Amino acid sequence: MDLTPSADQRDLRAGVRDFLAGRWTPDRLRAASASPSGSAAGSAGLDPDDWKALGELGVFALGLPEERGGAGLGLVDAAIVFEELGRALVPGPLTATFLAAGLVPGADDGTSAVTALDLGDPTLVAEHLGSSAQVVLVDDGLWLLPADALAAVPLDAPLDPLTPVWRVTDPPEGGRLIGTGADAERWRTRAAVLTSALQVGVAQGALDLAVRYAKERVQFGRAVGSFQAVKHLLAESLARVDLARAATWTAALAVDGPADRPADGGAAEAVSSAKVLADDAAAANGRCCVQVHGGMGFTWEVAAHLYLKRAWLLETCWGGADEHARRLAATL
Amino acid sequence: MDLRLNDAELAFRDRLRDWLAGVLPELPPAPDRDDWPARRRYDTAWQRRLFDAGYAGVDWPAEHGGLGASPTEQLIFLEETARARAPYVGANFVGLLHAGPTLIVEGTDEQRARHLPRILRGEEVWCQGFSEPDAGSDLASLRTSAVRDGDEYVINGRKVWTSHAEVADFCELLVRTDPEAPRHKGITWLILPMDTPGVQVRPLRTVVGSSEFSELILDDVRVPAANRVGEENDGWRVAMVTFSFERGTAFIGDVVESGNILRETVAIARATPARGGGTLWDDAALRRDAGRLAAEVNGLWALIRKNVSEASAGMVPVQGASVFKLRFTESRQRIADLASHVLGRAALTLEEHVVEDRVNTLSFTIAAGTSQIQRNILAERALGLPKEPRWT
Repeated sequence: MDLTPSADQRDLRAGVRDFLAGRWTPDRLRAASASPSGSAAGSAGLDPDDWKALGELGVFALGLPEERGGAGLGLVDAAIVFEELGRALVPGPLTATFLAAGLVPGADDGTSAVTALDLGDPTLVAEHLGSSAQVVLVDDGLWLLPADALAAVPLDAPLDPLTPVWRVTDPPEGGRLIGTGADAERWRTRAAVLTSALQVGVAQGALDLAVRYAKERVQFGRAVGSFQAVKHLLAESLARVDLARAATWTAALAVDGPADRPADGGAAEAVSSAKVLADDAAAANGRCCVQVHGGMGFTWEVAAHLYLKRAWLLETCWGGADEHARRLAATL
Repeated sequence: MDLRLNDAELAFRDRLRDWLAGVLPELPPAPDRDDWPARRRYDTAWQRRLFDAGYAGVDWPAEHGGLGASPTEQLIFLEETARARAPYVGANFVGLLHAGPTLIVEGTDEQRARHLPRILRGEEVWCQGFSEPDAGSDLASLRTSAVRDGDEYVINGRKVWTSHAEVADFCELLVRTDPEAPRHKGITWLILPMDTPGVQVRPLRTVVGSSEFSELILDDVRVPAANRVGEENDGWRVAMVTFSFERGTAFIGDVVESGNILRETVAIARATPARGGGTLWDDAALRRDAGRLAAEVNGLWALIRKNVSEASAGMVPVQGASVFKLRFTESRQRIADLASHVLGRAALTLEEHVVEDRVNTLSFTIAAGTSQIQRNILAERALGLPKEPRWT
């Protein structure tokens, strides 16, 4: 039993972190999210070069076997990479494109973005539809549809300014069957783990930003981070992200293979636990980040809101915390 | 990363399960909560069984009579004994988890030879004399004085929150030997035999109604200088060694119990009729709360495995231990609340285990470093935030 990253996994994390730090700088994030009222399609369309760069880095093909151009790595390795993507607030249909690698041509190397639509959800909304070539419909099977075949309208002023969203106006029909009911279940499970990993990253990024500010900002002649009232908010944020990360790694390992008691229950319980804790960590840490910034935290220019808004977006993906809590309750 | 146990660990687990399955049905019923002599007999008899079976001092090095088990094997031991509902470490806590490990690292050969085998065999019970009425979270402000007189120390002062004091043979005692020195530099760690003249034990009644703790009144108590552990005035460092054993894996059994209470609560809710028909479990809010707490318990398991893995790799999981203490104690209180809410007006007697538990868990966020102290530790040591102005 070992729940610490191996040397290879630490290298993987450092490599992705370095790459993203050079590309997704605070200035770039600020520019990309510049227009609060801009239309979805206009303000935050994906740059195909960014997507290709992620593909070249191996982000999407990570889990494919080496003979198919991948790295043959497991879901926990993907979780490590996705935490970094979340921490850097990288936009795009990351989870869907990762899961589509090997199923949808062009997904694995980042030559095309693939989004997904969970038909189990009563409200059909798709992210990044305008930048995606294909959409995977996840129901009691997996169906592939060209993105422009979906009847959908972009929503103005998307909550997360880096994530344009489209409301689907007519229930989609047809498409090419690319996976069975079991494949769809597998998709949902893995998507929940990867979304949890993104949330852990969002939670960590929000904490990092808040801690940096608390060390710099002086009031009453002292750094505000020296006050226990502020310190304890940040300590709570740290506790949340540590717990969520351990739960997410555990879920990823449990999904990938046999484990001795991943949770009180099996892999499904471990996944639901991770999503509950990661959603909570991201949203609460985002809120903490805004609060610690005081009035500046309420301005568009400080990135605090970007973490919180991304957290609020991701908590709706692949089962919200309440939904996963109900699933856990059913196993008690 | 890998969640699987290796073959040796699986074999260790299976042997332990077999032994527990054989020995637990033979145990007498647990004694009454307030019968301290009976509790000592019960807890030490269990320790003797562990010793005879080769499971005493799981985390102690083999050269000092322990099992020398790896951190993962310690996790297995604590998890399996808790799942099998074996007796808790109880009266052996301070000896096995505090004083013994401290003597292993800091004691003299004579001190080790005298105490370690007896602790392992369940023949010697220890208590802790660290906190004082005016020195709680701010432990370094302790004032119980020890004045050197020939080859003895003469001790005067008061200690509080001393568990098992009525039945203890020895006390790990922190005293001030140099009142002039900076506060961390004038403290000494002593072994106090509890039958020394001048030691008075006064039980403190807790909110649970029982006397879990006592106050120690020390009046001209004479302790041989040979009972000193570490150098004179170096006791703060020795105490930090003691504490380093406290925040590791002590709560693993409690996490098992958390899951048990949660499942038992759900079973009661499923069986309890609700006003207007159906059962309490039909309440979506209750199910959601229970599900969130189940996520929390699973998260704590994951964190334990991460902490144990770090310990296996030779790291000291300081941050992980504080995060665990903080989250475990608070969620444990929420689980006790949930259980009481399900019982409703049946929860109005301390005779009900759930209610006693609800009251008892109030101590969890206070003992062994309050939640506020844990947050300070995380903020200052893990996040590097500036220290609060304080005495030095």
